[in-house]
Amino acid sequence: MIENLPPGMILILGALLVPFLRGRVAGLYMLLLPVLGLAQLLALPDQYSLNLEFLGYELQPVRVDRLSRIFGIIFHLAAFLSVLYSLHVKDRIQQVSGLAYAGAGIGAVFAGDLITLFIYWELTAITSVFLIWASRTEKAHRAGLRYLVVQVLSGVLLLAGAIMHYEESGSLAFGHLGLGSTGTQLIFLGFGIKAAFPLLHNWLQDAYPQATPTGTVFLSAFTTKLSIYALARGYAGTDILIPIGAAMTAFPIFFAVLENDLRRVLAYSLNNQLGFMVVGVGIGTELALNGTAAHAFAHILYKALLFMTMGAVLHRTGTTKATDLGGLYKSMPWTTFFCLIGAASISAFPLFSGFVSKSMILTAAAEEHHLGAFLVLLFASAGVLHHSGIKIPFYGFFGHDRGLRTREAPLNMLLAMGCAAALCVGLGVWYEPLYALLPYAVDFEPYNVTHVVTQLQLLLFALAAFIFMYKVHLEPPEIRAIHLDTDWFYRRAGKRLALSLGASVQSLWAAVTGSALGVAGGLGAWVARVHRPGGPVGEPLPSGKSALWAALLLFAFLVLALLVSDI
Amino acid sequence: MEPHPPQNPPPPTGDEPGWPERPKNVRRLIALTIVLCVAAVAADLFYSKHGHYGFENITGFHALYGFFSYVGLVLIAGQLRKFLRREEDYYD
Amino acid sequence: MSEHLSALIVVLPLLAAPVCLLLRQTRMVRAWTSIVAWACLCMALTLLERVHTGGVITYAMGGWDPPLGIEYRLDALNAYLLVIVTAIASVVFPSGVILTDTSLPEGKAHLYFAALLLCLAGLLGITSTGDLFNVFVFVEITSLSSYTLISLGKNRQALTAAFSYLVMGTIGGTFLLVGIGFLYQVTGTLNMNDLALRLPELLGSRTILAGFAFLMVGGSIKLAVFPLHQWLPNAYTHAPAAVSAFIAATATKVSYYLLARIIFTVFGAAFVFDALHLHWLLMPLAIAAMFAGSLAAVFQTDLKRLLAYSSIAQIGYMTLGLCMASETGLTGGIVHLFNHALMKGGLFLAVACVVMRTGSSSVNAISGLGRKMPLTMAAIVVGGLSLIGVPGTAGFISKWYLVVGALERGWYAVSVLILLSSLIAVVYVWRLVETAFFGVPEHEVCEVPWTSWLPTWILIGATLVFGIWTDVTVGGASAAARALLGVTP
Repeated sequence: MIENLPPGMILILGALLVPFLRGRVAGLYMLLLPVLGLAQLLALPDQYSLNLEFLGYELQPVRVDRLSRIFGIIFHLAAFLSVLYSLHVKDRIQQVSGLAYAGAGIGAVFAGDLITLFIYWELTAITSVFLIWASRTEKAHRAGLRYLVVQVLSGVLLLAGAIMHYEESGSLAFGHLGLGSTGTQLIFLGFGIKAAFPLLHNWLQDAYPQATPTGTVFLSAFTTKLSIYALARGYAGTDILIPIGAAMTAFPIFFAVLENDLRRVLAYSLNNQLGFMVVGVGIGTELALNGTAAHAFAHILYKALLFMTMGAVLHRTGTTKATDLGGLYKSMPWTTFFCLIGAASISAFPLFSGFVSKSMILTAAAEEHHLGAFLVLLFASAGVLHHSGIKIPFYGFFGHDRGLRTREAPLNMLLAMGCAAALCVGLGVWYEPLYALLPYAVDFEPYNVTHVVTQLQLLLFALAAFIFMYKVHLEPPEIRAIHLDTDWFYRRAGKRLALSLGASVQSLWAAVTGSALGVAGGLGAWVARVHRPGGPVGEPLPSGKSALWAALLLFAFLVLALLVSDI
Repeated sequence: MEPHPPQNPPPPTGDEPGWPERPKNVRRLIALTIVLCVAAVAADLFYSKHGHYGFENITGFHALYGFFSYVGLVLIAGQLRKFLRREEDYYD
Repeated sequence: MSEHLSALIVVLPLLAAPVCLLLRQTRMVRAWTSIVAWACLCMALTLLERVHTGGVITYAMGGWDPPLGIEYRLDALNAYLLVIVTAIASVVFPSGVILTDTSLPEGKAHLYFAALLLCLAGLLGITSTGDLFNVFVFVEITSLSSYTLISLGKNRQALTAAFSYLVMGTIGGTFLLVGIGFLYQVTGTLNMNDLALRLPELLGSRTILAGFAFLMVGGSIKLAVFPLHQWLPNAYTHAPAAVSAFIAATATKVSYYLLARIIFTVFGAAFVFDALHLHWLLMPLAIAAMFAGSLAAVFQTDLKRLLAYSSIAQIGYMTLGLCMASETGLTGGIVHLFNHALMKGGLFLAVACVVMRTGSSSVNAISGLGRKMPLTMAAIVVGGLSLIGVPGTAGFISKWYLVVGALERGWYAVSVLILLSSLIAVVYVWRLVETAFFGVPEHEVCEVPWTSWLPTWILIGATLVFGIWTDVTVGGASAAARALLGVTP
C-alpha cells in the first residue's frame, strides 16, 4: 500500500494526523514522516511511473527519473531538517502547513503531466501562506495576502497555458516544452513568477522575511527550487534564460548590500543564487544541467542553514536588523560557528559545498562561450561574498557589540543547524555521492589547481576589498531604512487606491499609467459601493423594483423573440 | 552625509572584549588576509593556468576582478541608496 | 408496484405530509420525515439505474394515456435530478440542526416538518412530470410551502423576506402560467413531448414566441437569474439555517431543470439558440451574475447572506453552461448543479452548526472557532475551496467542463471570465478561513454533537469524493446532457 502512494503523499496525508498527537509523540512522528517518505522514494525503481485517465485525459501523477529523483531527495532532506529545526514550535497550524507544503513540493517534482503539476503547484501556494500568516502580525498578514495573490496567479498562468498547450498539441505531458507557442509561453511566465525572475521577483523579499523564524526555513527550500526544477524539465537550453539568469545573479546583490534586515538580505541572496541555476538551465548542456541540479541541492542546504541561524537570532533577540545586532558570538557561539560554515558554503570557498556545484555552472558557461554571462556570474560570485559571506556573520555576530546578551539557540535548532553544516562541509569534501545522483553522467573534477587558485584569488581579494572599504569608511553604513524595489508599484500605489478592494492588479495598472490612477480608484470605490450591503447589488431591491426588472426582462425577451430573431 | 549615524552603545561594563574585538587580533586577521592574498597571486606563477578565455590566464586576473567587482558593487550600491532609500515606516 | 415507482416518489411525500399532523410528537415526526426522505432516495436511485439501463420511463397517471392524461416521463436528466433532491433531503431532514434558528411555538414542530415534506413533494413533482400544467401546480406547491418555511426564521425580518419572495414567486408563477396558456392556445396540448412534436410547424406564431418569453422570465425568476435574484438573499438569510440548506441545494436546481427542459426538450436547441439567439441575452446575464454575486459576497457581513450571494454567482455558472448548448457545456452546467447542491447544502448546514452554538450567523461569529469547532470550520474551509474550484474538490470538475465548453465554442473571453470570477471567490473564502483560524475567539463554545456535524460532513465529504471520482457525477451529467440534446448514446 504505502509503496504505491505518490511521493509526497506520506507528508501531505501524514500532516493531517499531526493535530491528533501530543508532545514528544507528535515530534517523533513529524520527524519520521520525511524519513519514511525518503525511504519510499529510494525504493521506487528508476523510470517508475503511474498513469491514469481522468476526465478523458491521460495523466501521469508519478514519474520517477534521475532529474526528479535528485530534487525529491533534497526536498525530503530539507523537510527533515526544517521539522527538526521547528520541533520546539507548538503551533499546530505551522506544523500541519509546513509538512503539507513540503509534501506538495515533493509531489510536484514527480508530476508527469501539467495538470498534476498545477494541482501541486497551487497546493504549495495555499499551504505555505500559513507559514507567513502564522507570525500573526498585521505586516505578515498583508505580506501573506500579497504572496498568495502572486502565487495563485502563477498557478492560473500555468493552468491557462496548459489548456492552450493541450488544444495545440493534444498532449498534457510535462516534458520539454520550449517557447514555441502561446501556451508554453504562458507556462514559462508562470514558472518565472515562482522562480522570481527579475521584475517578477519581489514577492520573495516581501514575504519570506515576514514568515515565522521556522517558517522561513521551510519556505526557502521548496517553492523556488520547484520552479527551477520545472524550468529544467520544460525549458532546458532556452537561450533567453541566460540573460534572465545573469540579471538575476547581479541586481539583487545591490539591494542586499543596502538592506538592513538580515533575513531580507538572505532573501535577496536567495534570488541571486537562483540566477546561477537559471543560467545553468538556459545553457542546457549536460554539464550545465548537472550543475543546476547540484547547485540546487547544495543551495537548499546552505541557504536553509543561513536562514536557520538568522531564525535562531530572531528567536532569541526578536530582531534581525543589522542596526540592532552585533557581538552575538559571545552568547551564541555555536550558532556563530554554523553561520560561518553557511557563509563559506554560499561563497563557494573550496572544501565547502557551494564550490563543487557552482564551478560546474561557471565552467559550462565558459565552455559554451557565453562570455557576457560568464563575467556577470564571476562578478556575482564576488558579490555573494559581500552580502552572505561577510555581511550576515559580520553584522549579525561580530561587528559593533550592541550589548545584546542572550542564550544559545534551543537544542533542536542547534541539532538541525549542525546537521546542515555537516552536510555543507561533507558535500564540499566528499562530493562523489552528490555527483552520482546528478541527472547525467559526470565528467567533471572540481578540485584542479586552476579552479581552486582562481576561486581563492577572487574571494580573498574581495575580502581584502571589504577590509579596505571598511577602513576608508566607504562601506555603506547599516541604517534604519528600507529600499524601494518593484513592490513599490503594488504596495505604494495600491495604498492610494480603494482600501477595501486591494486588487493589486488594478493598482499596478494605475501606478504604471499614472493618469489611470483616479479612474481605477474610482472604479474600486464604485465596486465597493455597489456591492456592499446597502448598495444596489449588495442589498436586494424591494419587491416593486424587482418586479420592474422582471417586466424589463420580459420586454427584452419579447424584443429578442419578435424583432431580433431570424424567424 | 549620514543623518542617522550608527549608534554604538558601549558593551556592558565588566565585560572583557572578546578575542575578535581586541585591536591586536584584528590587526593580525588583516595581516593574515594580506598574506593569503599575496600567496594566492604568487601561486599563479607556479603552474600553467587552464582558463577557457585568454584573459583568464593573465596572472592575478581573478584577484583584480574580485577586488574591483567588490569595490564597484559597493560604490554603485551607495549611489543607488540615494534614490531608493525610504523611512522604515514608508509602507505603513 | 415497481412500475408505479415514478409516481410513487411524488405521491409518498405528498401523502406523508398530513401524517405529520397525526403524529404530532416532534421526535416521531422527525423520524417519519427522515424515513420518507430515505425511501424517496432509494426510489430515486432505483429509477436512475433503470433509466440508465432501460431508457426513458413513462407512466400514465391514473391510466389516462398522454397527451390527454398526465404523463410522468423520466429520462437521464430528471432521474439524475431526483437523486440530487432526495439525497439532499435525506441528509438535511435527519440532521441535528433541522430545528435550529426557527421560531416555532412549543409543540408546533410537526407543521414545520409537514411543510418540508410538501416542499419535497413539489420539487419531485416538477422534476418528474411531463405535463406543463402539472409543472405549474407543483411549482405552486413548492413555492407555498417554502414561503411558510422561510417565514419560520427566528428574526422578524423572516416575515418580510418570505413576503417579498411570495410577491416575486407569484409573479414568476403567473408568468409561467401565462406562457403555458399561450402555448396551449396555439397547440391545444400541455404534454411536453407532444408540444415538442407540434411546435416546429408553429414556431413563426407570435403567440408562441410571446409564450416562450413568459416561460423564460417566469423560470428565470424561480432560478434567481441576475437581476431577478432579488428575493433570494433575504430569503436565504432569514430562513432557518436548515431550510436555507435544503432550499438552496434543491429549489434553484429544480428551476434550472425546468428552464433546460423548456428550452431543449419543448422548443429545441436549434430554435432557441440558432434562430432566437437566446444566449445573446442570457449569457451577459450569466456573466454579470458570476461577478456581481461574487463581489457582493465579498462585502457581506453575514455568513448566510454571503453564501446566498455566492449562490447567485453559481447560478450564473450553471446558466452559462446552458447558453453553450453543447454536450460539454451542458455537462458542466448539470454537474455543477449536482456539485453546488452538495457544497451549498454542506456549507449552510455548517453555518447552521455555527448558529446552533453561537446564536449568530455573522461572519464575526466564527472568529477563532478553528480551535473550538474544528470539524465545522474544516467543513467550511473544504466547502469554500470547492466553491473556488480548487483541484481535488468537486467545484474544480464543474468549472473545468465549463471552461473546456467555452473553449470548444471558441469563447475564449468567457473562459477567462470564468477563471477571473473564481479568483473573487478566493477573496471571500479566505476571509472566512482567516476569521476562523486567525481571529480571536468571541464565544466560549464547543463542537456540535455528531448528529449535526455528521450530515454536514456527508455533503462536504461528498464534494471531496466527487472531486476525484467523477464516474457517477460526470457520467450521469453527460448522459443527462445527451438526453437534453436528443443525442442517442
